[in-house]
Amino acid sequence: MSSAAATRYDVAVIGAGMAGMAAALFAAERGLSCIQVGSGGGILFASGLLDLLAVHPVAEHRLWQSPYDALAALAGEQPGHPLARVDPTSIRTAFQSFVAALTSAGLAYAPLGDRNSNLLTSIGTVKTSFGVPLTMVAGVDALAQRPPCLLVDFRGLREFSARQIAATLADDWPDLRHQRIDFPGFEAVPEVYAVHLARALETRETRERTIALIKPLLGDARAVGLPALLGLTRSREVHAAFEAGLGVPVFEIPTMPTSVTGLRLLGALESVVSSRGVTRRQLSSVRALTFDYDTALLQLDGLPGGERISARAVVLATGRFSGHGLMADRQSVRESILGLPVQQPGARDAWHQDDFLDPAGHAINRAGLRTDEVWRPLDATGKPAWKSLFAIGSILADQDWMRAKCGSGLAIATAWAAIEQVAQPLRETQKP
Amino acid sequence: MSNTLFRAALDTSLLLCALGLLWRMSTWYRLRIGPDVRDLTLVPRLRALLRGFAAALFTRRAFHVGVALFLDVLLQRRLYRSDKSRWLTHLLIFVGFMGLLLMHALAAVVALKMFTGYESTRNPYLFLRNLFGSMVVVGLAFFLIGLRRRRRHTLHAPMRRPMDAAFVVLLGFVLATGFLLEADKIVSPQVFYRMAKEFNGSADPAELKPLRAFWASEFGVAFDDLTAPITPDLLRQGRAMHEADCETCHAGAASAFVSYPVSRVLAPLARVLDAGQAPTWLLYLHVFACFIGLATLPFTRFYHVLAAPISLLVNGAALGRSLSGAGRAVRRALALDACVGCGICDAHCSVAPLARHLDNRYLLPSHKLIATGELTRGRLLQPGHLTTGAGDAAWRAAEGAFGCTDCGRCTSVCPVGLDLDDLWQSGRADLARAGLTAPAQWVQARPALAWAESLQRDFWPRSFFDPDARDAPLSANRSSFSRCVQCQACTNVCPVVAYSTDPAYGVDLTPQKVMNLLRLGMRDLAMGSRMVWSCATCYQCQEHCPQGIRVADIMAELRTLAVQRLGAVRSHKELS
Repeated sequence: MSSAAATRYDVAVIGAGMAGMAAALFAAERGLSCIQVGSGGGILFASGLLDLLAVHPVAEHRLWQSPYDALAALAGEQPGHPLARVDPTSIRTAFQSFVAALTSAGLAYAPLGDRNSNLLTSIGTVKTSFGVPLTMVAGVDALAQRPPCLLVDFRGLREFSARQIAATLADDWPDLRHQRIDFPGFEAVPEVYAVHLARALETRETRERTIALIKPLLGDARAVGLPALLGLTRSREVHAAFEAGLGVPVFEIPTMPTSVTGLRLLGALESVVSSRGVTRRQLSSVRALTFDYDTALLQLDGLPGGERISARAVVLATGRFSGHGLMADRQSVRESILGLPVQQPGARDAWHQDDFLDPAGHAINRAGLRTDEVWRPLDATGKPAWKSLFAIGSILADQDWMRAKCGSGLAIATAWAAIEQVAQPLRETQKP
Repeated sequence: MSNTLFRAALDTSLLLCALGLLWRMSTWYRLRIGPDVRDLTLVPRLRALLRGFAAALFTRRAFHVGVALFLDVLLQRRLYRSDKSRWLTHLLIFVGFMGLLLMHALAAVVALKMFTGYESTRNPYLFLRNLFGSMVVVGLAFFLIGLRRRRRHTLHAPMRRPMDAAFVVLLGFVLATGFLLEADKIVSPQVFYRMAKEFNGSADPAELKPLRAFWASEFGVAFDDLTAPITPDLLRQGRAMHEADCETCHAGAASAFVSYPVSRVLAPLARVLDAGQAPTWLLYLHVFACFIGLATLPFTRFYHVLAAPISLLVNGAALGRSLSGAGRAVRRALALDACVGCGICDAHCSVAPLARHLDNRYLLPSHKLIATGELTRGRLLQPGHLTTGAGDAAWRAAEGAFGCTDCGRCTSVCPVGLDLDDLWQSGRADLARAGLTAPAQWVQARPALAWAESLQRDFWPRSFFDPDARDAPLSANRSSFSRCVQCQACTNVCPVVAYSTDPAYGVDLTPQKVMNLLRLGMRDLAMGSRMVWSCATCYQCQEHCPQGIRVADIMAELRTLAVQRLGAVRSHKELS
């Protein structure tokens, strides 16, 4: 097999997290032939909410209700932040495009405006985010107005406690009640898992029995909150049935990862990317990546005998440590595929602050690849390492996406910007 | 040849053949394979036979039977799809043999009645006999070459009984004596004089001189006393005598395109052969070899000429229908006889690599079929065998039977159209009844904790149980599971856990807990867990694992390991 001719693609996306999926989607939408390598399992950690930018500056933990105002502030104060390097119009277009694709795959989102929304989390804290799935929208209104509201959880579901949420919010939301019920059909098992319940709710009988159990508990509640398990692939239908059955707005609250919402997002992205013609190798990984002038050669494992791919451009979307794009040992941080120079603290003892919970975060959380203005990672001399290699998403340096609440924004915006570069014909002026 | 002797020999071999067939075919109504047909008595089976016959002949199913007869039996459609070169071999032997049988052996009852003016020494019959004979010879040669080649490339070739080889030798012998007899009759002066006496009225060499000259030059008779030069004039006289007495029955000897060249080799020996009465004893050898073949038919490979077509016709009759219990019983027992041991199933078997790895031939369909028959006949496993260690073959057979993945390839390629899937299922059920249950059953008959404790008790040196990287490349290597962050993704997507809503039957652990047991070094406990043994190998866990852990592969490896290690504990317990 290894001697067989390589299959040619316009672009090879390495990574299938949010950035890799966005890049594959945008490449396909621009008519580029695309192969995507890597597992999307990391998306299972997602809540389904699409952050754009909620916190800036990180050290002050300043929350923004307008992500675009936050972007403007970021651009002024941290021009090197990757998100500050994409123009807001492109970000707007990219988000519209991304959300439209998800909606087409059955995962519907509320219309994107200019504002962030505030939502409950499964431990009773408030999260500020940008793109909100339709099944969660009623929770935004409920949290804003705080009417009498019922939270329901299920016995044996470890990752979600209605009582904990109500207890955390007791002072601010006195009319928030909680109830625990047995999930129909799972009464005899000590532990239940959200995805199994979500699938079970896609059958009408289980759905009706669940609604019948909740209805007597309603009392004066004007909204009902449930863990995010109202269906898996047919969440809109299940959610609508609950609202119709209970007669009040119903909202989902994201559960602890790995979650139904993550699986929904992964499923929708997989189906939308595949249906737009992207070749996917989700159980493969890149064994070797080499460049021959303007052509990249990838050797993949995962299929018997391996596989050889050639591509006009490569988009590196391998993530940081949990995605294995970066590897750390006792001395330093390395980029895992090509050994590209990683922007990082000078010595190991500078990786972290003394205080683990320091709001400013740690230097290691801003480690990553630096790129030129068109998203090509730099080599040791500060020049683009390869003409046709691009890096996007969380592997990029100078950002702390978890604390800034900008993970999806970073992924979607940089994917859009990099694919824009890939799609352009080669320009002499941009040769290194 | 003495007519009485011929008749007596023919009748005896026919009787033996009939008795043998009765005995062999009675097994179709005696053997019980599979628990579903265990309590079936003979009467409903015979009734099913009659009903089947009636339906096959007098209902619309007759059409399907006709199609099966033409396409499957005569043209061997299934063999053509599975293996074209063996189809050609079969066709050569089949057409040649049937030609010889109908036009030559049974000439008196078939050819003479069907073709007016049939005469074995006239064309096209003379030519055809040589053609049919040579087809069988070429077919046999192909068969032997193919057999040799397959044996060289196969570790566990299909079993062959001595009787199978004996039949091939016998068939070759019949062909060889037939051609030799024909060749000898061409060269033999003795035969010439006998014929001349009968049709010319004279056996006087001097009187027959022109005819002898003509036959020596035109038909190759080897007279050693034909000293005078053969003149054209003599030949002209000879031709006239030939036209008067011989020509109506004799075509040119060269039409016997096999026997004639052989006769040229024999020509110098003609006198010796005549002196030794060669035409007579060659005839005896030829005919008696045929009789031996007939008498032993039910017990040699030749039996397939009956069993295989019956199997194919039963398939045709049963097309698209489910059989009754009696029908299934007959069909399973029939399968044991109809299998020709061609080994095409073995070549397509999904678990053939496992058969090589475990060095266990019973994983392969052709061997498993024989083991199934032996089990049914009570030869594989006798009472008490399992506990005395004498049941080793039975243990191996059970390993083979339960290693089958039911992929169905053997059934789809079988040239005889045997329903092997059904046979394997019933064979496994019989094994389970005999105490040789499937690994999933015997492992789960004890709690995981009990197995783990047995393993811990160390009744054999610990090192014996420590699997090396070859047997357990994943579970013995920490790096294959140490990345697990216990995120529960595997459990969430697992359909087996989702289905386990009854604690009495559901799984005891979840996939992520199995990974955790490995991380804690408690593999012994994981191996016997119901999660590991209920895994459907759907690979959802593996495809969704954010850490890229080969969860499903690890589960499969744990099962394999359990069969080895817990199996050792089990046989130790049963033997002690």
